[in-house]
Amino acid sequence: MSLNFYRRVAFGLSPNEKPYKDPLNWAINQLDRIPDLLWPGTIPTEKDLRKKYGEWVYGDREVLRKKFKNDKHAYRKAKDELRIKTGERYFELNEHAIRHFQTKYSKQPVFERFWLFWGNHFAISEKDFLAEFSTGPYQREIIRPNMVKTFEEMVQSVTTSWCMIHHLDNSESFGPNSKKGMEWGETINENHARELLELHTVSPNAGYTQEDVIQLAYIMTGWAHKWDRKNLETGDIWFDQEMHQKGDKIVLGVKYKNDAKRELAKVIHDLATHPICIKFVSTKLCRHFITDEPTDEMINPVIEAWKKSDGNLIEIHKAVITQAYKYNENTHKFHPPEIWLMQLSRMFDLNIPLSFEKMNYTFKSKPNNRQRQLSWILREIGHSPYRAKQPNGWSDLEVDWVSPELLLRRFWFASVELPMLVKSGNRSHGFILSCLKNNFEDHENMASLIDNFRFGTSDYDLGQKYGVICNLPGVLKI
Amino acid sequence: MNCTRRNFLIGGSTTLFLSGYFPKISFASMQKKNLIIISLRGGMDGLTAIPVIGDKRLKKLRKKLILEDVLNLNSDFGLHPKLEIFHKLWQKNQAAFVHATNIPYTGRSHFDGQNLMETGAHIPYKEKTGWLGRGLLASNIIGKGLAISLPMPLLLRGVPQNNNFFPSPDFVETKLIDQIYNEFKGEHNELIKSTLDTIRQRPLSMQIATDSDDRKKLALEAAKQLKDQSGPRVAVFDLDGFDTHAAQGGVDGAHADELEEVNKIVTILHENLGQAFDNTLILTLTEFGRTIKQNGGYGTEHGYGSAILMAGGLLKKSQVYTDWPGLKKKELFEGRDLNSTIDSRAVYNSAMSICFNQDPEFLRKEVFWGDELPDLSQELFKI
Repeated sequence: MSLNFYRRVAFGLSPNEKPYKDPLNWAINQLDRIPDLLWPGTIPTEKDLRKKYGEWVYGDREVLRKKFKNDKHAYRKAKDELRIKTGERYFELNEHAIRHFQTKYSKQPVFERFWLFWGNHFAISEKDFLAEFSTGPYQREIIRPNMVKTFEEMVQSVTTSWCMIHHLDNSESFGPNSKKGMEWGETINENHARELLELHTVSPNAGYTQEDVIQLAYIMTGWAHKWDRKNLETGDIWFDQEMHQKGDKIVLGVKYKNDAKRELAKVIHDLATHPICIKFVSTKLCRHFITDEPTDEMINPVIEAWKKSDGNLIEIHKAVITQAYKYNENTHKFHPPEIWLMQLSRMFDLNIPLSFEKMNYTFKSKPNNRQRQLSWILREIGHSPYRAKQPNGWSDLEVDWVSPELLLRRFWFASVELPMLVKSGNRSHGFILSCLKNNFEDHENMASLIDNFRFGTSDYDLGQKYGVICNLPGVLKI
Repeated sequence: MNCTRRNFLIGGSTTLFLSGYFPKISFASMQKKNLIIISLRGGMDGLTAIPVIGDKRLKKLRKKLILEDVLNLNSDFGLHPKLEIFHKLWQKNQAAFVHATNIPYTGRSHFDGQNLMETGAHIPYKEKTGWLGRGLLASNIIGKGLAISLPMPLLLRGVPQNNNFFPSPDFVETKLIDQIYNEFKGEHNELIKSTLDTIRQRPLSMQIATDSDDRKKLALEAAKQLKDQSGPRVAVFDLDGFDTHAAQGGVDGAHADELEEVNKIVTILHENLGQAFDNTLILTLTEFGRTIKQNGGYGTEHGYGSAILMAGGLLKKSQVYTDWPGLKKKELFEGRDLNSTIDSRAVYNSAMSICFNQDPEFLRKEVFWGDELPDLSQELFKI
């Protein structure tokens, strides 16, 4: 088995790991339980951060805008102070640190790759202040605990999570015949219903119609955040019967009897176990771990495992890894920038993320440049994980990640930024060589490419070496 | 023959001067025509950009979204106040609009819709190339596409050696690029290889480090590139955020903010293209319009018919070109959306024929599989 398997299903091997005797078992044994989050710094809860979100929007919208309505300059100043006080500029940086610390040090890196996959399947795109306060905890508290349950349970949790409901506007969706809908002349908002069908479960392959979208939106009416004057839209999710569309609904030919809040669980059950959903999501999994255009031969065993286990994600993940192992030697996969960065960080033991002591934030001034560094790098290489442009998340296809500027940014990172992230004990040529040997069959050839700089340990010299090494054909694409 | 980073660094500054300036003179007699596409992702609301005037039904259905003061176009249509550059150009016959138009897609999914607006096809994800890329290839215009975005938009794919402009914070040494290029030589990866070729042949003017968040700067650089007689002939801008399910707003608000971005880009292109603006066409592209009726969140839902905003000296005249379908319930698509009576691909096909000096019939066959797309060049553009 080639060493690239460790990058195919994880992040490569760190300097203190050695290739495992049975790589397939090594990988498969990582999937049965949820590893703890290792970040020694602050890990705030979703609820705490939502409270901060509330303080920020209330403070800005209800207090400052009114107080300084005639003084733009004073308003801006007060708003900046509020940003600092509520951590509006800080929490996303901390979330990136938690995430990258995990992928770097986790003893179950294969599990972590699935974590990234599901977070992107149920993506939260850049909207309002979700990236600042909510998307990170959503990954930790909604996506992660469900990874040892069934796909259906995952969809249930995601669909009723505060983050997704806010992201896709379900709080603004009123049944036109509901009490509030009638009183206020309001109607549905189809956004969430449409994406639940299209992106999260059955995909357009299921051939649903506009009427199906409307009927599903009816079922979803009432699932909203509990609004109050002080917390505004950041209250908990509840089911508001007064917003809920009365009457029976029909989605994809199945009738759902008028049953208030219980309708949603029923329809999600049917969607999440639909054969087209199973095929759609299995294909996405194979695309992520095997190759851009997986064949039926690759996908079918995953579908089988899905059906046999009634959608148990542990079993599905194991089947995916088994397939990735089986096709490892004959398929290629180009990794998107964030995974590439995580791999470099693990293989070469880079100073990413910043130590938790230095990430510590006092809420008294703006986060400093060091604290912002990782998030800045992610943005510059084109892959800020919690800021996908649209609800379909980040692409998993090579064509979407290859352009002159996107490649140049990787060259830039490896040759200019990376040297500053090399730990002081790791600057010798021997260190690089041992990392290469640990992760690449053709390490000797790679070493010969940087041999000219074997005596160099300055940032410039390291830039010359890493610039090439990190962007070789077999590194960009396994 | 334009100066690339490569021969600049090999030859030093003398070479830069020689190769950078002299060739321009020999090309000066042949005026190049530019085609600029601005993608508006999320579904641009044609009725907010180009509102129909005095329609009682619209007023009733969109109580919270009606614009109080629109810029005047003609007796039937107004213009959103944030699109003031179009209003200015309208006076000079350099702005026009196609209304009630869309790609032939009625599925209301963003992702399928955006795929189709770029491929120009009928089945989502079936085609891997964009209509603009195929148009360039059919016209044998290679290496003249420029994307103002970090990824290469699908729209431009299908022709090799496209460039994009979205500068990183610092430079990359040519030596490094060459070394990586050498290592890719023996690989079977045409996409990365051709991208590396493009990087190696980039004009020196693109080797700048700047803040890519600043759309003004990007548009300014794009204008400089397009003005260069030997520079790109096609540019693609990418905007998102048009999906205003909530708080869409009227004169201000989410949709207005996005229109303001369009206005900003066109303003800068107009200011900085100078004379070249006379030989330029700017067209917008979106996946669908939005519902007539406002929804529960004072936004609108995914719809069908939208509008194309156009600017540039190659327009025939200022006009709202439309076969207006009406807004009565039975005139709407499925009783809810502005209908599309013009296949927007006909507009793009005609625009390509003008800018690439090609027979529209030929392009229709090469690019759009011979689909029925009337030639609108006579009606819309200077020929």
